[in-house]
Amino acid sequence: MARKVTKTAKPATSAVVRRLDVAARAALASVGGYAGASLAAALLARILPGPVAEATTAAMLLSFAAYAALAIWSFADPRLLRLVLGFGLGGAALAGALWLSLQVEPRL
Amino acid sequence: MNGSFRQSMAWLHTWSGLLVGWVLFAMFLTGTASYFRPEITRWMEPETGAPASASQAAVGAVAFLQRKAPNAASWTITLPDERQSVARVSWRPEPKAGEPERRGRGGRGRGMDATLDAATGQPVTPRETRGGEFFYRFHFQMHYVPVLYGRWIAGACAMFMLVAIVSGVITHKRIFKDFFTFRPKKAPQRSWLDAHNMTAVLALPFHAMITYTGLVTLMSMYMPWPAMANYQDNQTYFAAAFPRSEEVQRTGTPAALVPLPQVLEQASRTWSGGRPWIVTVNKPGDAAATIEVSRHSGDKLSYRNGSLTFSGVTGELISRTPEMGPAGKTGSVMYGLHLGRFAEPLLRWMYFLCSLAGCAMVATGLVLWTVKRRRQLPDPQRPHFGFRLVEKLNIGTIAGVPAGMAAMLWANRLLPVEMASRSQWEVHAMFIGWGCMIAYACVRPAKQAWVETLSAAALLVGLLPLVNAATTQRNLVSAVQQGDWAMAAFDLTLFALGGLIGFCAWKAARHAPQAPAKRSRLVGEPA
Repeated sequence: MARKVTKTAKPATSAVVRRLDVAARAALASVGGYAGASLAAALLARILPGPVAEATTAAMLLSFAAYAALAIWSFADPRLLRLVLGFGLGGAALAGALWLSLQVEPRL
Repeated sequence: MNGSFRQSMAWLHTWSGLLVGWVLFAMFLTGTASYFRPEITRWMEPETGAPASASQAAVGAVAFLQRKAPNAASWTITLPDERQSVARVSWRPEPKAGEPERRGRGGRGRGMDATLDAATGQPVTPRETRGGEFFYRFHFQMHYVPVLYGRWIAGACAMFMLVAIVSGVITHKRIFKDFFTFRPKKAPQRSWLDAHNMTAVLALPFHAMITYTGLVTLMSMYMPWPAMANYQDNQTYFAAAFPRSEEVQRTGTPAALVPLPQVLEQASRTWSGGRPWIVTVNKPGDAAATIEVSRHSGDKLSYRNGSLTFSGVTGELISRTPEMGPAGKTGSVMYGLHLGRFAEPLLRWMYFLCSLAGCAMVATGLVLWTVKRRRQLPDPQRPHFGFRLVEKLNIGTIAGVPAGMAAMLWANRLLPVEMASRSQWEVHAMFIGWGCMIAYACVRPAKQAWVETLSAAALLVGLLPLVNAATTQRNLVSAVQQGDWAMAAFDLTLFALGGLIGFCAWKAARHAPQAPAKRSRLVGEPA
């Protein structure tokens, strides 16, 4: 249904391009989404105030919402490049922040 | 994804739902049945009696364990509640010198466990069956694959489901609005007739809750990274998040064990009426003995309701697990919401019905996929491979999973009691039944396949009460006479479910290929 409308909107888009587009988004949503949610959750577990076990549990509880949001975004954004950059830069920023937070012992 | 936001979400909803729809349907239906796990177990163990009081069962269990394993390192007694007729006990021997002490649920599954009648405390040997436990296990860890893989598969499917729910809500935003707007003349009839929207939107809070909380039940496995960031490993996290009572060492001085009912009563008083559930006796018969009593998981919304540790000699309260923080409580409540153990009978039936609506949502969604595409097929008489695959799997799964589950119950009654690996063959029966339905759907035209597989499923489910009456002492009449409402309701529910599937078969049979578009959607026959 969406497929048909898309085709009429952009007749120049070939089937191969479309398939690659879908494959890239599926990869971003599944692998990228999990990586992003993991990094965010790990970072959250490091920086949330309160007892360590509590922060850890809270981060785990929230992680699936983050994963779902990233998966939705992977298919919502019309521009693939923005997605790739978003995942790449966002992931790098999260990873950097997580690395920094891990240097602080025992915890912030 | 160059269309509008809504179009992208419609696409995502369609494909995320379809890709795992069949596994989801099986997970949903077996999960639905699991709300009656104790009742299914009782039904599948017709050798067991009726529920009795927990303290009566405790006395019997201790007497049994004192005979059977007086020198064990620990005993674990799972007390029956009003839904169970047996107490399950297991014990763990003292570790050999140099061997690390292992904690946990004892020696279950290694010949160091027993099933005791709740009323008499005498061991009962029900037929070898996995009971309701199998549906429960299957719904989150599959079968024929290692448990760990199965759990990852279930988790991935749950994640797809979560994405399908979110994208579905976005897609159907307008219908959602219509739902709260009463416009008798303008409201599109179609949205009310659309079974998928009905079953999905009516129970949407349930579907969203059950999917998210399902992920939460296994979250430390799916998302170990927060624990990894703060702890050495998951075990250390667990020890910190859910502390247990201190380990005790045997002193060598014998001492008589305090009578268990006294301890249970005190535990119940401490919890202002809460029910004791799992009782662990550490170092029974020793002066250092302790009794850990955990609170019933159905006492509160939360699944983890803490435990009390008593002296095994004086019966004094030694310690209690500390209160959990807000996050720990939230997680435990989410876990509890998923299992629904707190639900009293009426609420439990609501759980069951909402969950059935979830099965219907997945099933109608799968059927809609073929219905929408059938009209776009270049030649509806010769659909392409993908279309045929979806159609056959739809028929074979929507009719096949209930048929397979019923086949397992048939096998429970018909396989010889002394048969080797009997419980495994019960389980095989489910997959044989399901597989046969898929195979049958492959060799028959779609319409006939729908009618015939659904009819077979209806018969398999609906005839079970008769099989029960023919093969055991139990039947509907005797259950009513004895006031055993759980078993009476079990038979009645099977009749009702058989009737429901039969109704679907009847609708499929009555469906006329030349009917207007709306009618032909139900079964999806080529026009």
